[in-house]
Amino acid sequence: MTIPGAVGIVTPPLQGGGPTATKGELVERLTPAKRRVGARAEGPAVREKFLLFRVGDEIYGMGLRGLREVLLSDGVSSLPAPPYQVCVALAYRGRKLPVICMRALFEVPPAGAAGTERVLLTQGRGRPLGLLVDEVLEMAEVDPARITPLPALATLLDPACFRGLFARQDRIILLVNEDGLGGFDEVVQFYAAGA
Amino acid sequence: MAVQAEPIPPVVAGGEASVLMFLVAGKQLAVDMDRVQQILEYQPPTRTPRRPSSVEGIIRHKGRYLPVVSLRRRLGVEEPGPASSAILLLSGIGQDPLVGLTVDQVLRVLSLQPDKLPPPPPRVFGIRVEFIRGVVNAGGRPVVWLDVVKLLTSAEPITLLA
Repeated sequence: MTIPGAVGIVTPPLQGGGPTATKGELVERLTPAKRRVGARAEGPAVREKFLLFRVGDEIYGMGLRGLREVLLSDGVSSLPAPPYQVCVALAYRGRKLPVICMRALFEVPPAGAAGTERVLLTQGRGRPLGLLVDEVLEMAEVDPARITPLPALATLLDPACFRGLFARQDRIILLVNEDGLGGFDEVVQFYAAGA
Repeated sequence: MAVQAEPIPPVVAGGEASVLMFLVAGKQLAVDMDRVQQILEYQPPTRTPRRPSSVEGIIRHKGRYLPVVSLRRRLGVEEPGPASSAILLLSGIGQDPLVGLTVDQVLRVLSLQPDKLPPPPPRVFGIRVEFIRGVVNAGGRPVVWLDVVKLLTSAEPITLLA
């Protein structure tokens, strides 16, 4: 079955999700073998899988282990500001989930909708969390030994928001840390408010 | 292309210090030579999210990832620097082992006698004396010897004056 707006299923739906997919939700169920995302490859080099995405002109990555779904952004709605400057809400199977607008978090100037925006639905600190990104690019396999912490001067954001960085061809790719993002003030506030 | 800086002791037995002199927005500035590990041709850094206003991003050099600070921006100069600017790799600045510092043009290495320098005025080119180690003349123009550690670890805004 294919539902308009669906992009792809990576792992089983989040707890509390109903059996019926709606527009914007994902549809194509992968085989169990494919679902073992982040599984360690055999052989001497243990590699980890990351989903690469774009925010502004830069490329970022997120581990596949916690990723549940990739959704179109049409289920996203704004939240009152203040207190919410970076968070928006996603209508998802009868409930609302917090979504971090990565452009706002990263202080990338807003841009008009290009149609490539997606919500990466993952888990942050054990709770559902969406990341609104400009575009999903591809998967990458990286040897964890190649992942380096960010330099201290690189960002004013909490270092916990980043897993580290690595180089791929000529580009430096920063890896976000879903658990760190799940501890972001507005996300905590969203859940505390029972939104 | 990277230019390996020759290791020159900062203060020799006779009380001399070596400083690397460069241009930023037309001003002659200098930093301690012993902090300069290397001089690189400018390469556009990868921009990092929500970075300090003077930080341009990150570069990769010999397998290491280094933050790059624009000295123009740190001094409040909004106009971009020349395309042929340079990156000084400095050690001993804050938490990062190496920090890149972009300058407009590298000029030369000077030998100074710090003990014989007069105390700097309260401000030079708008830079407060806390960020200055001394002021010398080179070619009839002042050279401001910066306390680069204080300059790059402080968040105090500076506006370079014409």
